[in-house]
Parts: sequence; C-alpha cells; structure tokens
Amino acid sequence: MNQIIRAHALSKSYRGVRALDGASFAVEAGRIVGLIGPNGAGKTTALKAILGLTPFEGELAVMGKNPYTERDSLMQDVCFIADVAVMPRWLRVRQALDFVAGVQPRFDRARAEGFLSKTDIKMTSRVRELSKGMVTQLHLALILAIDARLLVLDEPTIGLDLLFRRQFYDTLVNDYFDKERTILVTTHQVEEVENLLTDVIFIQRGRIVLSTPVEEIGTRYLQLTASGEQARLARQLQPFYEREVFGRVVQLFEGRAPQELQPFGEIRTPSIADLFVAKMQGEAA
Amino acid sequence: MSTMPTLIRREFWEHRALWIVPLAIAGLIVVAAMFPHADMQLDSADVATPQKHLAVFAMMHSALMIPQFLLLAILLPYYLLDCLYAERKDRSILFWKALPVSDAHTVLSKLLVALVIVPLGVYVLTLFTDVAASGVLALRMRNSELLRMFTSWDTAIWVRTQALILATLVMIVLWYAPLAGYLLVISAWAKRNAFLWAVLPPLVAIVIERIAFGTSYVARFLGYRLRLSGFGKSIVPAGTGTDAASMLDAFRPLHALTNIDLWLGLLATAALVWLTIRIRRHQDES
Repeated sequence: MNQIIRAHALSKSYRGVRALDGASFAVEAGRIVGLIGPNGAGKTTALKAILGLTPFEGELAVMGKNPYTERDSLMQDVCFIADVAVMPRWLRVRQALDFVAGVQPRFDRARAEGFLSKTDIKMTSRVRELSKGMVTQLHLALILAIDARLLVLDEPTIGLDLLFRRQFYDTLVNDYFDKERTILVTTHQVEEVENLLTDVIFIQRGRIVLSTPVEEIGTRYLQLTASGEQARLARQLQPFYEREVFGRVVQLFEGRAPQELQPFGEIRTPSIADLFVAKMQGEAA
Repeated sequence: MSTMPTLIRREFWEHRALWIVPLAIAGLIVVAAMFPHADMQLDSADVATPQKHLAVFAMMHSALMIPQFLLLAILLPYYLLDCLYAERKDRSILFWKALPVSDAHTVLSKLLVALVIVPLGVYVLTLFTDVAASGVLALRMRNSELLRMFTSWDTAIWVRTQALILATLVMIVLWYAPLAGYLLVISAWAKRNAFLWAVLPPLVAIVIERIAFGTSYVARFLGYRLRLSGFGKSIVPAGTGTDAASMLDAFRPLHALTNIDLWLGLLATAALVWLTIRIRRHQDES
C-alpha cells in the first residue's frame, strides 16, 4: 500500500472556530480523490494543511513528510492549483514558462509548449490580455508539464463556464493522470467530478463523514425508489435518508443486500451526488 | 534550475520601472550633452591649480549620477512597498506558493534586487553614461580652450572618483537597509493601502509622544535615520573646507563603517527581514 497522504486526528482552529475537528483519512497513490463537502466544511483548510500553508494539530504526512516543516522540498513533488483563473496579470506566457522552468526541476518545458501550441495563446501575450478560458489553458499547460506525484486542486473551475470546466477535467484525466500520480480535488459541485473520481471523502464540520473508493459505494449503499405504501414497509430496514420525488419516495440504505430491498421497488447504486446530499443531511439531522 | 536568478528576473518582469527608468535617464543625459547649455558659467579661477582642476573634474563626473540616485530614492521604496503587497492584492500569491520556492528565497530575492542588483546596476550604467556624455562634450567643445580644461580626461582621477562614489553608494545602501526591511514588513503585512500603513505609524508615534510626554525622541531618531546628514558626518570629517578640492581630499566613505549605528541598523534589518519571511510564511488568505 502506497499512501500519498495520511492524516490522523487532524485539527485546526481559526479564532476558536474548529475548521478541522479530528479528521482522519488516507489517500493512496494512483487515485483521483474528491474531497467533497459544503462550504465551510473544512475542505480548503485540509488542503492548506496538506500543502504546508498552515500549521495544524494532529498527525499529517504527505509522501512521508510533514508538510508544514518540510514544505519547500515537498513542493517539488506536489502541484497545486487554487483557482485556474488566477495568475499574475502582468506575467507574459513566455515568462511564465521561464519562471516555472527556473524553479521547478520536474518541469518539462517542451511538453508545456506542445500543449500551448494547440491553443490560441501567444507566447508574448500577458495574462491580462487572455480570456478566462485561455488563462485556464495556460495554467493547465504549466501544471501538466510538471511531473508531480500529487496534484492538489482546490475548487479549480470556479467562475468558468461549462465548456471550459468540461475541457479542464477532460484534459486532466486524459493527458495527465496515470497510475503513478494522485489527484486530490475539492469541490462543492459534485456532479462535475462524479465520473472521474476513484475515491470520495465527504467532510462536514471538520469531520470525515465518509471515505470510500467509488467502486465500493455499490456494495455498501443502495438507493430504493418506491411508492409511498412500499416505502412505509421498507422503512423498517432503517434507511438513513429519505426524500420524496414526484410522489414516489427515494430511500438510501447502508449495508443492505439487494435481495432485501428488491421487493419494495426499484433499486440502484446511488450517485455520488445523491449519496453526498443524503450523508450531509443525515449528519445534520 | 536556478531559483535565485529566476526569482530576480521575475522582479524585473513585474517591476519594469526598475530598469526602464534608469535607462531612460541615462539616455536623456547623453542626449542633453549634445545640446548647448546657455547657463554654463565657468570661471578660469576654478581651474587655476591642478588640484582645483581635479576637484572640478571629479565633481563633474559625479554630478551625472545625481539624477539617477535621486530617482532610485523614489523607485526603490515604492518597489519594496509593493513587492509583497501586489501578489496578495491580485491573489496570485497561491500561484507562486504552488511552486517549490521557499518564503525565505522569495523575500531575499526582493531585498537583493532593491539593495544590490538595482543600485549596482545603476552604478554601472552611470559609468557608461559618464563616458558617453563626456565623449560627446569633449567632441563639442574641442575648440574652446577653457572648456577643454574642464573636460580634459584624467583616468586616475576618474577611477578614484568612481571608486569613491561606489564606496559611498555601498555605505548609503547599508545605512538605509533597515528602511528597506521596514517597507518589506509593511508590504507583506498590510491588508490594504500599504503606503498609509508605512507612513502613518511613525507619524502617529511622533504625535502621541509630543502630546503625552512633550518630547520628540521618535521624530529625532527617524530624522537621524532618514537624512543622510547625520550619517554624512562620519564620512566627511568636521572642519573640512566647503570647496571642492578639500572635500574630495577629506572624503572617506568607508569611515561610515566605524559608526556603530550603521551596524545596529544592519542588525535591525536582519530582524525585519526575518519577520517578513515569517509573515509571508504564515499568511493565511482565505
């Protein structure tokens, strides 16, 4: 087992407010992990701790290093995008390449240039002259050319339109991801990343609510859609979440066999988005 | 892979005034040398003795530097105040922090640019400007006997003058280093309006001291650190004549190194730079 990130009882308070409250989780190599939670759940704080941007309580190891005390060497193996649309506005494209090539030993300049040549971005342009979508492409070109073991994305596509968001994630999965690399992405737009994640970690009020590989969701959770009458009967099997859709009742169960639920209605594996909503509201209740 | 050179180049990409303005001034000086100066008043008494001639020669060649260094006195504080503030203002700090560059490297690169690269670069530039402008003047005035005396080239004196200027420049930079450290702290710390944060606290301290104790120690201290005159006493000994020749002879820039306040200032600079690095390290923008 090759753990890229291991957190145990990770805590962090801002002026008395606990942003992280004893969170424990692990991220293994070669996975695309979604750290998903509502606003203010502690996602960004967790990433900041992982990136060594903030001190923390508890244990945290990123590739075996303490990110806070060993940040400078760690950042050679870690890449990080907070918001793809934010780059220094005065920077020219060529300067951006020069800079990253100068400070990041794992940067492959030819690869970045190859990626840029497929876009309309000119080497002499300044960031302020580029459209938001182009800034995204530039940022991606830089990131994709860095042979980092861990890529951390914090709400990377905020403020982008659907086309660029889709393009961003497609490029990420097709051109970047492989078994050697690990991607950790936070977002509150679950639907957007649903299809590319291999693992999900749900976080709420600084605590980990769920941490599971996506392929195991189907064996642990089932979603039942039934009529009101059937749903009342199924309630004996203790769904942890229930809502009504067009007169039918949707219930989510944990640890039930399909055979147990089949008699009551249609069953299927819940989507990550459904599971997220159920878990968050279940926890809140 | 060359982190420090890359960081330094970065500063000149962002703060283009640091190289454009000195180059423009240098160009202007050379161009100005091509045109007649109506107010150029010369008195043959000024060059009556060889010693006086040398002094005038030295003054002339150092005068060319004055506009450059006056401009640096405006450019560099502005740069220092902006360099760590701008990256937070435009939210690009996380882009920089995503790369394997330590906060110490980043802060030191900015200090290096302000205290070493730009002053030395401008110094070297003025050497070329001086040679170019002197050449132009010599060509223009080859027919005027009096002016030839002024412009006649004396390499030994020229080298001596330039060495004195370089030594003075180094001393001035060392003297003002704590100011650079202070501006870096404000630049890394101020959430908005870095300029006001840099200027107001000392002013408020002066006013409060005046009202509360009726004294003016803060004002006197700041005046001493900010003006060159207090510092200048140690490099131009008391009792020196005010004429150019005796000034040049008595001028001992390296004497500033015997001034304990210079060393205390450097200690303060180290502390302020350390504080700046810590502030940038712990910055938690959300």
